[in-house]
Amino acid sequence: MFKSKISLPLIIFFFLLLIISIIKNQTRSFEKKIYQLNKKISLKEKDLNESQFDFFYLSSPVIIEKKINNLGKNNYSPIRHSKIFLNFSSFTNIQNKITILKRDNEKKIKTN
Amino acid sequence: MKKKSKQIKNVNQSSFYFEDYLETNKKNRISKKSNIFQDRIYLLFFLFFSLIFIFSISIINISINTTEIFNQVNGSSKFTLQRRDIVDRNGILISRNVKSYDVAIKPSLIKDKKNFLIKIRLNFPNLLFDNIEKKLNRDKYFYLKRRINQIEKEKLWALGEKGIIFEPIQKRMYTHGNLFSHIIGQVDYDNYGIAGIEKYFDRDLKNKKLLKKPLKLTLDSNIQHIVNKELNESLKIFNATGGAALLTNVDNGDILSLVSLPNFDINKRASIKDKKFINKITKGVYELGSIFKTFTIALALENKLVSPNTIINNIPRKLKCSIHEISDIKEFPKSLSVEDILIRSSNIGTLLIARKIGEVKYKKFIEDTGLLKSPDLTLEEVGNPINFEWNKCKLETVSFGHGITTTPLQATFTYAALVNGGKLIKPNLIQKNNTVNYKKIISAETSQSVSSILRKVVTEKDGTASLANIDGYNVGGKTGTSQNYKNKNENLNTFISVFPTEKPKYALLVMLENPQVARNLTYNYRGMKIKGTRNESGWNSVYVAGKIIKKIGPILAIKNEEFTNQYVAEKFN
Repeated sequence: MFKSKISLPLIIFFFLLLIISIIKNQTRSFEKKIYQLNKKISLKEKDLNESQFDFFYLSSPVIIEKKINNLGKNNYSPIRHSKIFLNFSSFTNIQNKITILKRDNEKKIKTN
Repeated sequence: MKKKSKQIKNVNQSSFYFEDYLETNKKNRISKKSNIFQDRIYLLFFLFFSLIFIFSISIINISINTTEIFNQVNGSSKFTLQRRDIVDRNGILISRNVKSYDVAIKPSLIKDKKNFLIKIRLNFPNLLFDNIEKKLNRDKYFYLKRRINQIEKEKLWALGEKGIIFEPIQKRMYTHGNLFSHIIGQVDYDNYGIAGIEKYFDRDLKNKKLLKKPLKLTLDSNIQHIVNKELNESLKIFNATGGAALLTNVDNGDILSLVSLPNFDINKRASIKDKKFINKITKGVYELGSIFKTFTIALALENKLVSPNTIINNIPRKLKCSIHEISDIKEFPKSLSVEDILIRSSNIGTLLIARKIGEVKYKKFIEDTGLLKSPDLTLEEVGNPINFEWNKCKLETVSFGHGITTTPLQATFTYAALVNGGKLIKPNLIQKNNTVNYKKIISAETSQSVSSILRKVVTEKDGTASLANIDGYNVGGKTGTSQNYKNKNENLNTFISVFPTEKPKYALLVMLENPQVARNLTYNYRGMKIKGTRNESGWNSVYVAGKIIKKIGPILAIKNEEFTNQYVAEKFN
């Protein structure tokens, strides 16, 4: 009589308590993760803020004008567009073509 | 108790048969014992439940407040802005809060004070050591340096002293240094605005709901830089003590550029008390001279007293009015048309027209334009024009801009109204999407006539502003050469231009304080190369305005038809 009356609620109670503690632990770990992420976000935001600030400072008309003046003092020599290779393979291709042409030319000269 | 007695009764009457005394007592004892045991269990259960309940509540409470607790513990690592950004019309950053440190000293944690002082002296020779020594000996917490930079922080960190405390703070920084110093203003150490826009919009800039939305100004950084640069150069060329420029959109009142020189770097905090650093455009109050002649002519045209071609005959060379003797700078023909009076800037011609208008109408015009009131602007630094009484000869002197003071801002906005169809618009520094409210002061017809006369001031042979005739921009304007009302030895040369005059969109004011003759400067005057010999507004302020318009014109994207037809080649492929 007594056992059935007391034990059932006690079992339910302990069961719920266990579930609550599990949920609590889970939420706690989630909160920690969220906190860590928030911290990271806030640091990134701070970095972004400062980088943006640096960008706007460095691209302000006064600084750009200074840079232009500094660059203007340097001597630049013009270079032909055909001598600029955008990657290594284009360079080797052209070099191959040149050597083939040279070889053909040499052959022609020899035969003549 | 009732329940108990009932149970006992039931036990006793459980059988018809005789039960001996002992048996009955035994049963009674067992039932009593079980009752006591049950009560205890209930009590224990109640206590246990209460404990669990309290425990659960505390868990819920902790879980709700966890984030706050975290923030309190590690508050320094979280960066939340205390103040909104300020950006220009193109979204270019002007001011922002960044993380910085104040360095404080806790003397009780410093073991070897002498050694500490030597280290500080070596690393920071500019600090006042007597003060630091005194504070150190007083054993009280004090600030060594505020708003330190990264290098200074590293230096202090390297000292390895426990007593050096780095207090994290938010520092307001300005990307353009001194470019917007008179407009943006400053904040104090606690991030409260103390001048300029920072002060006027202090509450708005601290509004937590709007923290991620920057405050957008009507100013343009690139134009501001060009105007500032040209004006700075002109101060050197003309050896002027100060200068100011204002560029505004005449249709909506947006201020695109406002420069007042000398200026100061707002990143370096310093108390500036010298009056030469005031905002000359909004706070400075000046007698602007011949600038006012345009108002007189516009008023006469509006009242249909004259037309631009009406000839004013018998203009005397000199005229005595009360105690004043009024004359023109140079000799003009005795008969001049109304537009010629403005083109040549004749004092006496304007005076005669003002007499036709009369004091009542002129007074009303001055009141309508608000030239004698403080400018209505979203800045703390606004000037109060000097009030005067309309006594004898006041109308005559006011007609050509003498004996009346106003701020350059108000004069420019009155010009804007004279050329935009007669709409007097409020100056605006903050970008809004609201419709523009205005007060009509003259008709569109009069406005058109004024624009065309102003254009002639620049294009006509006798005009006073030929140096502002920049190809393609159809510049019009009026010069003003006056004396500083506080110091009669100082000149104040002003030029207010409007462009393009066929449909004016912008008004530009250039003002130079006490400019000198630029003898080394070679002007390109109507196709001739001439050296500087004169010192009127037409030879300095106009020259500067021309240079500015030439540079800002392409940025303002004014359709420059002449230029397009002459220089732009068509792309064929």
